[in-house]
Amino acid sequence: MITTITTTTHWTDVFKTSAGAIYQCDAERCWYVDFAGKVAKFDYRCLLKLRKAVYHIDIEQTLLNTTKDPDVEIIFICACDHCYVLSLLQIIALKELLEGTFVMLELNHILHERLCSIAS
Amino acid sequence: MKDLLRIKSLISTEIEALLNQQVKKEALSSSIYLSMASWCNRNGYDFSSDYFFKQAEEERVHQLKFYKYILDMGGNAISPEVTGIKQEYNSFREVFEEALDQEISVTQSIKNIYARCMKEQDFVTMEFLNWFLKEQREEEYKARRALELFEVIGEEGTGRWQIDKNVGQITYNSEA
Ligand SMILES: [Fe+2]
Ligand SMILES: [Fe+2]
Repeated sequence: MITTITTTTHWTDVFKTSAGAIYQCDAERCWYVDFAGKVAKFDYRCLLKLRKAVYHIDIEQTLLNTTKDPDVEIIFICACDHCYVLSLLQIIALKELLEGTFVMLELNHILHERLCSIAS
Repeated sequence: MKDLLRIKSLISTEIEALLNQQVKKEALSSSIYLSMASWCNRNGYDFSSDYFFKQAEEERVHQLKFYKYILDMGGNAISPEVTGIKQEYNSFREVFEEALDQEISVTQSIKNIYARCMKEQDFVTMEFLNWFLKEQREEEYKARRALELFEVIGEEGTGRWQIDKNVGQITYNSEA
């Protein structure tokens, strides 16, 4: 499912790795996740759900798993239009991307708080 | 860049997780008290049974308070799974000993959330928690008082019957 981007709203880089990037769109109050060959739009709830889904995957356990099943995880997020089918390496990359993103969002939050307390 | 996290929710993800944990703890307390009410009833301690029924209801109210607060602040309240409730007790006294243990652990976990709020300067949640801190004072007092009855009345003879009768009368009314 690939979202075609038609609008020319301003996106701010939140976090980038060699595997992908996440942008924030202030006007739409959402994020765009550029990963695994598609750009998907996530609102607040869905981004948190994505984070939870990715963080929940036990990477170590999957590595140690000796069954013949392919090392592929399907990330399906309830009430979200997107679904990811990812290899283990991609999962690790997505996790890194999300971790970085949330650190940046947290930092942004701290900056906003500090600015507010100075302004008042 | 807008602070979208803050726009959507007043509480941080960490506080939200801790509050959800507390929702579960209150639900657990409620179920434990309900099980105690059943045990007391089956063993002829009707006043204590009523006492525990009331406690179970109170814990349910606590659970909903936390639950609604999370939602009101823009968070995601999670309906908890409660399993492994002990159904049998070895003695009348053991029931009250475990009731006190449960209250102490609830107080401790509310203190932990409070500590986290202080670290984050989440004064809004701290103010919300104040009610619970005061409530725990009463809860621990009542649980301790019940155990005290075992000491002052004694379990010999008609002691347990006396204790049961007095459990129903325990109240806490401090103006402080
Ligand atoms: Fe409680
Ligand atoms: Fe309680």
